[in-house]
Amino acid sequence: MDSTGIVIGFWVLSAITVVSSLLVLVARNLMHALAFLVLAFLGMAGLFITLSADFVAVAQVLIYAGSISVLMVFAVMLTPLASRDNGNSLYVLPGVVAGLGIASLVAFVAVDTEWAERTGAALAESDFASTVGEVGRLLLGRYVLAFEVASVLLLIGLLGAIVLVQERRRAATQSPDEAADTGARDGGAL
Amino acid sequence: MTDVLGNTLNLQYELLLPEIILAITAVVVLTLDAFKKELRVGYNSLPFVSVLGLVGAAVATLLLLDNRGNFALLIELDDFTTFFRLLFIGTAAVLIIGSYEYIERHVSHVGEFFALILLSTVGAIYMAAARDLLTAYLAVEVLSFSLYVAVSLAKNDPRSGEAALKYVLLGGVASAMLLYGLSLLYGVAGSTQYAEISEALAAGTGDVTLPLLLGLVLIVGGLGFKAAAVPFHNYAPDAYEGAPLPVTMYLSATSKAATFALILRWFAGPLLPAVDDWAWMLAAIAVATMVIGNLVALQQHNIKRLLAYSSISQVGYMLMAVTALAPDTGVATSGAVLVHMVGYLVTNLVVFVGVIHFYNKTGKEEISDFRGLAQTNPYLALTLTAGLFSLAGMPLLAGFFTKFILFQAVASADYLWLVIVGVVASTVSLYYYLQVIKQMYLYEPLVPGRWRLSATGYLTTGVLFFFMVAIGIWGAPLYEVADAAAGAIFFV
Repeated sequence: MDSTGIVIGFWVLSAITVVSSLLVLVARNLMHALAFLVLAFLGMAGLFITLSADFVAVAQVLIYAGSISVLMVFAVMLTPLASRDNGNSLYVLPGVVAGLGIASLVAFVAVDTEWAERTGAALAESDFASTVGEVGRLLLGRYVLAFEVASVLLLIGLLGAIVLVQERRRAATQSPDEAADTGARDGGAL
Repeated sequence: MTDVLGNTLNLQYELLLPEIILAITAVVVLTLDAFKKELRVGYNSLPFVSVLGLVGAAVATLLLLDNRGNFALLIELDDFTTFFRLLFIGTAAVLIIGSYEYIERHVSHVGEFFALILLSTVGAIYMAAARDLLTAYLAVEVLSFSLYVAVSLAKNDPRSGEAALKYVLLGGVASAMLLYGLSLLYGVAGSTQYAEISEALAAGTGDVTLPLLLGLVLIVGGLGFKAAAVPFHNYAPDAYEGAPLPVTMYLSATSKAATFALILRWFAGPLLPAVDDWAWMLAAIAVATMVIGNLVALQQHNIKRLLAYSSISQVGYMLMAVTALAPDTGVATSGAVLVHMVGYLVTNLVVFVGVIHFYNKTGKEEISDFRGLAQTNPYLALTLTAGLFSLAGMPLLAGFFTKFILFQAVASADYLWLVIVGVVASTVSLYYYLQVIKQMYLYEPLVPGRWRLSATGYLTTGVLFFFMVAIGIWGAPLYEVADAAAGAIFFV
């Protein structure tokens, strides 16, 4: 963090991220909370850019601010009454106290410690023009196994999503005999 | 091949053969399940193919026995990894052979269930094999996600969905804690490689006590949740009760063993230089886990919840030994953890397979439903009794030998007070195990009439029973194998 522009950018983006994250918690209307969440995602993306992590920043915008928030909007829209009548929780006070406690502890640790940072020359030496190529090479080179394990994880996630959603439809049409039975009975009733 | 930082990488894919076989088998099972009408395969072919894949993976593991080394600095292939590969593959095979009748009848989505078991075995193995925080965390998530889904698969049981929801929400929080702790550890050590973390912590450069401590608290909390140690155990009885029985078995066997494999890798490897910072945390958790796990088990009347609390208390015994991982006696202590883990796994599988077959016959899972089992099925009653006695640590059975080795190792590492707590707690445990045995032997059955286990029921309980007695009488080979495996994880 050498130039003033980066410093100003860091503080502005941090403020945006923190404030909008807090507003996510405070907002009573779920749609408003979602809008603030998108803002927090964008702030995070900006912070990644100040760290010269361009690929992560773009991925953050595409995946989190883009698709995941759209998915959440759909979920809220399709759930009746989800965006209204969100009452208070009994645990507001303990929650706020615990949250503030943890936040101040983490902040104290982060500020108090002299982290082994890379600065000046060392930072300039490992300067990439763009991280995209290098990330790609690492993903399919050194980290190929982690990449494959992540794909197994995604397969499990996919399986879980299908299995959990499919539950009811499958139970209804599980055996063709039963379906034929109910069909016949319905026909008989008519 | 070299990476961007100039590290030489070893990309020998044959080192990953067992896991590749498991993953491919999972995909084959899914495909067979999806096209079972077109391919004219019955449901029985799914467990058969799964077991075939497990056998193939075990054979591949044995062929790679002397092929040590690491894969691209992410996975370490040593005796420790081989030990856990065989252990997890064996557990999965017991689960599938011992409970496929149950799975067909009481689990929705049979094909997906077998695939999840196979894929989670991959995750469990990589938890034991990782040598980089990245692979370790991914493997934790692979195992956890398969279990979140598997818990929800009980057919016609409303408790299942509730259990899965509790498990996934609390599991997500625990994963976040673990990840945050790991990121602090990375900040302190400047690397995700175990060996480099160990060096950085041993060198102790800079003022890093506070973030290291915070990181350790979060890591211990996250791992404590995954292992269901008190005070992070609250989800466990509900998740165990709501899950289908084979998943309950899997939660108490592979999931726990994999977490302990990870704990041993971390606390005996990269985190060992910081032993003074974490030993007291683990000691406190171990005492709480042994005491509360055993005391709350006294009040249970559902066999699944009883076994849940019993497995929580077993976690306490093993955590006690992890506390005692001092650099000089570390190999013996972690070897003792491995010995106890095998003993616990074998015993627990005997009990669970027995309970699963009891449920297959009766559809009941309360402890009072076991009344008179000695008259209706003497073999099953004997097997369950032996298993419960072994869990309590009675002589001539695996539980006694492994607990003895464990307590002895902890005592010789100067943690005698922990051993005293452990011995008292394990005496208490005898009471609730005896409650089940009392029901089986002292009361008349509600529904008279003999019944038999299925052939696979006899096979799995018989083999496990044999191992349980064999380890109890002649445990030396197991001890030697565990010692060799434990020797591989220390850097100093």
